[in-house]
Amino acid sequence: MGDLIHNLSIGFGVALSLQNLMYCFFGVLLGTLIGVLPGIGPVATIAMLLPVTFNLSPISALIMLAGIYYGAQYGGSTTAILVNLPGESSSVITCLDGYQMARQGRAGPALAIAAMGSFFAGSVATVIIALFAPPLAEVALKFGPAEYFSLMVLGLVGATVLAHGSLVKAIAMTILGLLLGLIGTDVNSGIARFSFGLSELSDGIGFVIVAMGVFGFAEIITNLEQGESRDVFVNKVTGLMPTWKDLKSSSGAVLRGTALGSMLGILPGGGALLSSFAAYTLEKKIGDTSMFGKGEIRGVAAPESANNAGAQTSFIPLLTLGIPSNPVMALMIGAMMIQGIAPGPQVMTERPELFWGMIASMWIGNLMLVILNLPLIGMWVKLLTVPYRLLYPSILLFCCVGVYSLSNQPFDVMLTALFGLLGYVFVKLECEPAPLILGFILGPLMEENLRRAMLLSRGDASVFVTKPISGVLLGIALLLLLITLAPAVRKTREVAFQE
Amino acid sequence: MQIKNGKDFWAGLMFIGFGLGFMLVARNYPMGSAVRMGPAYFPTVLGGMLAILGGMVFFRAFVSKFNEPLKVFIFRPLLLAASAVIGGATYFADSQLKGLPVVQAVLAGVSLFLFIGAFGPRSMFLVLLSVVIFGYALKPLGLVLATVILIVLSAIGGHDFRKKEIVILTVVMVLFGVLVFVKGLGLPFNLWPGE
Repeated sequence: MGDLIHNLSIGFGVALSLQNLMYCFFGVLLGTLIGVLPGIGPVATIAMLLPVTFNLSPISALIMLAGIYYGAQYGGSTTAILVNLPGESSSVITCLDGYQMARQGRAGPALAIAAMGSFFAGSVATVIIALFAPPLAEVALKFGPAEYFSLMVLGLVGATVLAHGSLVKAIAMTILGLLLGLIGTDVNSGIARFSFGLSELSDGIGFVIVAMGVFGFAEIITNLEQGESRDVFVNKVTGLMPTWKDLKSSSGAVLRGTALGSMLGILPGGGALLSSFAAYTLEKKIGDTSMFGKGEIRGVAAPESANNAGAQTSFIPLLTLGIPSNPVMALMIGAMMIQGIAPGPQVMTERPELFWGMIASMWIGNLMLVILNLPLIGMWVKLLTVPYRLLYPSILLFCCVGVYSLSNQPFDVMLTALFGLLGYVFVKLECEPAPLILGFILGPLMEENLRRAMLLSRGDASVFVTKPISGVLLGIALLLLLITLAPAVRKTREVAFQE
Repeated sequence: MQIKNGKDFWAGLMFIGFGLGFMLVARNYPMGSAVRMGPAYFPTVLGGMLAILGGMVFFRAFVSKFNEPLKVFIFRPLLLAASAVIGGATYFADSQLKGLPVVQAVLAGVSLFLFIGAFGPRSMFLVLLSVVIFGYALKPLGLVLATVILIVLSAIGGHDFRKKEIVILTVVMVLFGVLVFVKGLGLPFNLWPGE
């Protein structure tokens, strides 16, 4: 406990410096903005800002980028409640009850509960990171290649199980992602694989390119194809304060959402989106469920707390294991590399000010978000009255500049367009792209650890099962797969994703 | 045998194609052994798995309970064929075209545009076209003109093109780009051609 307080005081010392406060504020403000705007997410924004962070100190850079991520979760809920339009994918579920509350003239309490729940969840998640990251990092220091490989298998299985739709397709998408991740120079032999003689491909494909194409561009294309059908319904927001009854009924939901989100955020492939869905599903199983879908405040409180908790605890695998659990975390690794920091368990011991400063800044950032968001809601809503036909060319510009500035190569922009095309095909064929992205990030890491493990064991593949930690991880992965295939779970899963 | 689920049919074919493709290309690299894996080892294993999974999805298309039409999205095979012919010729005639970089670039570009145009609706073609042109125009033409091209061309892809609005939007975005990207964030773009 004494250690914890000592560590946190280092952290707050770093985070409360004027410069870092400023970058934190800038990060959460920008995060809220892109959270409000549909079609541009944290991935594109962080990609665009990566070259800029080169001139900042490492801690300021990480504080700002982290602020963008959790700020986006806040912004996304605002538009979900007020105009039934999720600014961020993790707020999709908030639309269900949040928008209904707004229609009943209870937008104020919905927004307030979302903000309070998020703040509570953010504070708890901050403490969880502070408590659990150090022991986890200690365990991680003992990890060999076999354990890392099994951990990644578990992460990928987790991502497929949680993906929408067909399991076979999700596994296929993961493998396709792994394969795409292998494009580029092989570290062991120096051979440029799958590059077709193009020098631009010899360093591999930047995953911003894949993410921006498959998510960003593909979304714009499908939106344009469907035509504009946005029902902007902006009521005057009056009376922010929730009633006593609201507070009482939602406090349990906030607690449950926070707990669930904190757990799911740690899982590779988890994070904000998954947490919010799971929390809503859980809430619908508890207590009086008659009001769900008709403006139940618990249906706002639980997912909004969960997505914030999940967004924050997804930093744990990054900070302790050096493994990104989602695309945003992969970008954070990129940002650390730019600064010459190798992510992994050693960061905590070698650069304590960096680690604890970032954690402290998250709590400060959450506080800023509450203060920032409630009074500024009117301004954010105004932004939404901008029609999509003006919005999407601007979003395209941001995305293009973001991709181009990664390495100043036109080829990258062209490649992003091709991935946009591929993303459109995925949407049409009902192939969920999220597992692909995770596979893409983990592909090279997985191959490297597989090779090392096999070299150390002299070609004996049983090492993955006989080593205790690795065996347990693989066992959990297998169990997850089997559970998903069980008929009963299959049905509930189908129902859960249809909602 | 009748195809019941068009989406699974095409998805299966796509996965099989990718899987076999990766395996085929990987044959050019040394395989190594299980102890010392060569660069071809992991991709070959994964490619095989992908092809098998693709086969499962493909098979499912014939026994599916869901009825999905075979035509999932707009597809123009003639454009795709033309793209493949031009692209293939450019790729394999690399040595003959060495002295003519402009011809090579034009051929590659035409092949790319034909490829994009072979799939999906008109709006997608215009959006992706504007993106590609922006990428290649940014350095030679500068940020200002590249932005104009991107905004106008992509806006034409929308349903509701209003001239006045787009002019204003273009001016705003050019100003924004110059002030925020170049002056504010310090990204190294030139503003005008030949700077």
